[in-house]
Amino acid sequence: MVKPGEKVKIKVKVNGVQYEGEVPPRKLLVHFLRDDLGLTGTKVGCDTTTCGACTVILNGKSVKSCTLLAVQADGGEILTIEGLGNGKLHRIQEAFSNNFALQCGFCTPGMIMQTYYLLKEKGSEISEEEIRDGLHGNICRCTGYQNIIKAVEEASKVRS
Amino acid sequence: MNYVGKPVKRLNDSKFITGKSVYIDDLQISSLNAAFVRSPYAHARVKSVDASDALKTKGIVAVFTAKDLNPMTSDGPGPWVTYINQAEWKFVPRKPLTEEARYVGDPVAIVIGIDKYSVRDAVDKVNVDYEELPSAIALEDALKGEALVHKELGTNVGYKKDFSAGNVESAFKSADKVIPVEASNTRLIPSPMEPRGIVSRWEGGSLTVWYSTQIPHFAREEFSKDFGIPSSRIRVIMPDVGGAFGSKAHFVAEDLAVVASSIKLGRTVRWTATRSEELISSNARHNTFKGEVAVKRDGTILGIRGDLTVDLGAYLTYTEGLQPAIIPLMIPGPYKIRDILVRSTAVYTNTPPITMYRGASRPEATFIIERIMSTVADELHMDDLELREKNMVRADEMPYKNPFGLVYDSGDYLSFLREAKEKLKYHETLTWAEAERTKGKRIGVGTAFYLEISGFGPWEYGEIRVDERGDVTVVTGGTPHGQGTDTAIAQVVADELQIDIGRINVVWGDTQVVASGMGSYGSRTISIAGSAAKSASRQVLEKMKYVAAKMLNADVEEVEYSSCEFKYKKEGKSVKWDEVAKAAYSGKDPGLYASVTLEGDVTYPYGLHMAIVEIDDTGIVRVKEYRAYDDIGRVINPALAEAQIHGGAMQGVGQALYEEARINDEGQLAVSYAEYFVPTIMESPHYTSYFTDRPFPSNYATGTKGVGEAALIVGPAAIVRAIENATGKRFNKTPVTPEEVYKSLIK
Ligand code: FES
Ligand code: FES
Repeated sequence: MVKPGEKVKIKVKVNGVQYEGEVPPRKLLVHFLRDDLGLTGTKVGCDTTTCGACTVILNGKSVKSCTLLAVQADGGEILTIEGLGNGKLHRIQEAFSNNFALQCGFCTPGMIMQTYYLLKEKGSEISEEEIRDGLHGNICRCTGYQNIIKAVEEASKVRS
Repeated sequence: MNYVGKPVKRLNDSKFITGKSVYIDDLQISSLNAAFVRSPYAHARVKSVDASDALKTKGIVAVFTAKDLNPMTSDGPGPWVTYINQAEWKFVPRKPLTEEARYVGDPVAIVIGIDKYSVRDAVDKVNVDYEELPSAIALEDALKGEALVHKELGTNVGYKKDFSAGNVESAFKSADKVIPVEASNTRLIPSPMEPRGIVSRWEGGSLTVWYSTQIPHFAREEFSKDFGIPSSRIRVIMPDVGGAFGSKAHFVAEDLAVVASSIKLGRTVRWTATRSEELISSNARHNTFKGEVAVKRDGTILGIRGDLTVDLGAYLTYTEGLQPAIIPLMIPGPYKIRDILVRSTAVYTNTPPITMYRGASRPEATFIIERIMSTVADELHMDDLELREKNMVRADEMPYKNPFGLVYDSGDYLSFLREAKEKLKYHETLTWAEAERTKGKRIGVGTAFYLEISGFGPWEYGEIRVDERGDVTVVTGGTPHGQGTDTAIAQVVADELQIDIGRINVVWGDTQVVASGMGSYGSRTISIAGSAAKSASRQVLEKMKYVAAKMLNADVEEVEYSSCEFKYKKEGKSVKWDEVAKAAYSGKDPGLYASVTLEGDVTYPYGLHMAIVEIDDTGIVRVKEYRAYDDIGRVINPALAEAQIHGGAMQGVGQALYEEARINDEGQLAVSYAEYFVPTIMESPHYTSYFTDRPFPSNYATGTKGVGEAALIVGPAAIVRAIENATGKRFNKTPVTPEEVYKSLIK
């Protein structure tokens, strides 16, 4: 049991780096990533788990990091936009740029991470319908989505 | 090297796709956090604020109320005087915090503490004693004037003006038919994905403000005016901005409270709006037009008269003054209607304040005139476009002065329309839709034409710096925040200087770097900021020729420049761009920079857009396809221009079908994305966007007219028309909800 005001120790691996820290039990994972680790690539766009700007990969699955507590990630492995592509541009990142799939860029990290998960699940045979289905939890207010669909299609065809 | 006209890739994508983007909340600046105590009442006097419990919360530094902060400001944001005639308005300048809450969410106190969690805890512990006052939530109630939003104004009417031209009386007398018309826009929320935010640092006499804004220089001016600090000691920095759509050319009370707190505490204070706070910070549209049109049996429109009523919300914002003053002027659109009377009234209500949103008044005007056109076509049993053709301004009448004095610069609407019909497959698509309907499908096709006014002077700043290595920095007064106009400006400059675009860096959005500037809004950036940069490029090149001439022992007239080479033909000698740049920093009269403050005027792009909708048994409308044909003047980067059409059209779909800021009887706005439906990828249609091969350029050096707002200006009218085509029923407002469509299906 954690008493009010007490902190909890957590251990997480983020983008291949092991971190240990103490967090208040109510701290959201997205705030841990952004404020404690300084990984501000993951964005916050809403208060209701609607926009997907905060999407990261936790233990192989995409999650909205604004809807998890940091303590729930204890012992887990996280991949954020900063860890994608190992210092090089990942094919998804390239495809987004090639296809004008971003404008203001605020939704982009979340979009890319969700695409990463989607393509991992579906592979290169992904259909437009599956892309729409897979990305409908990520809102973009700028692009109208068509170029995002094109980008995902392109990325699905490029071999990693 | 020829970059203009090509789909050059965006130059600054890298940081956005790798997570290195820095929006306001990403700034790694040690700062305190702010949160706000907000009124739960639509109208209430603040009797007292007890912050003693809140101050005991761990990590809380201060709680300020109106009494603490308001005396620090001598003035507050009123209308944007560059574009709005302040004298026509009754308004009360906004203050940092309020002693009389005028909408649910009006900030009453600011809580400042070490992190975002503790300040939220403390907000809940601030005890405010309110005395509820009578409120006017609905526009109709506000018009009755029983409950006053601002007692000191003595009325809820903030603006009232008749826009009258020609002779409306006689137009209606000679009409074969008078047709009633109506067009309303329900309240919207622009909703950029990045909520607004501000970080303010006070360093004993100097103020630095990082600000999610479209208008950093106006912000500097505003803070200077409000706080009495010389603007030379204020630096406003615009970090990456995650979308704005007009809503971030707007100072909210919270901004002032943050700046005031940072000065008072001598500390750095940060506020990042939550989504709920963003949703109440800027609402948009919310207006109604009711009137009638006088027509001849052959489809000639003789006159229009009617009432435009605009909801202002509780305060006059920086930008909302535009709507009631510009909508009437644009109602005639591309049509030769000379006799017109629009009685425009803008009214305060106890609801969140209204700001501008992509298109700001041109979507409203277009919706009104296109609803008029479609309604008249129905009543006279004419084809939609045939009726429009009949009334359009002809090419030989250009430049055309509309009845309110706006001068349409260039265009040929009639031949454009002929091309558009082909390109968008107008007749085939209508026939196809009809055939689908006989098969039992509810398919509808709708088109709408728009003429918009963009560019918006009065001026913009552009500067070119060629450094000693020959690399080029463009400093622009434009403030791109997603549109990609930084890339487009680089294309223009690269062509002008005939250098590799990779050597160009475009910078903006810092009042200490950019001498002056207006910003990005109103589809103006590539036209006015691009042209300023182009003209500065020419000046720099002249200076370089002068340097080259000295190096070549030639007269400057004898030096020719092309592709990074300055040639002295007569003697067969030449010097390279890089050599000239280097030399320019060694000899006499060193330095290679030029700045231009370019005056500019409005310009008028136009186009025809088409929507294809399908309606299911439950009344849910889906826009399947969206086609656009536009004359936006010269197209600098077709991929970027097309992207603007996509994004605007998606917002058009949102406005036409899904987006409605609902406010209940108590004045409570629905404040989450659960209730305000921003379209997702599921609602996105297939877009096809074409630009005419024979554009009519503007008077700007770039020849461009602007495209940023086009699709949201015309999209709702096209989509609503498509629903009418599918159902055979009339719809006069946005959004058209499933309930309404369903009812129309069963009747
Ligand atoms: S911030 Fe997590 S879903 Fe919006
Ligand atoms: S690019 Fe701006 S929200 Fe998607």
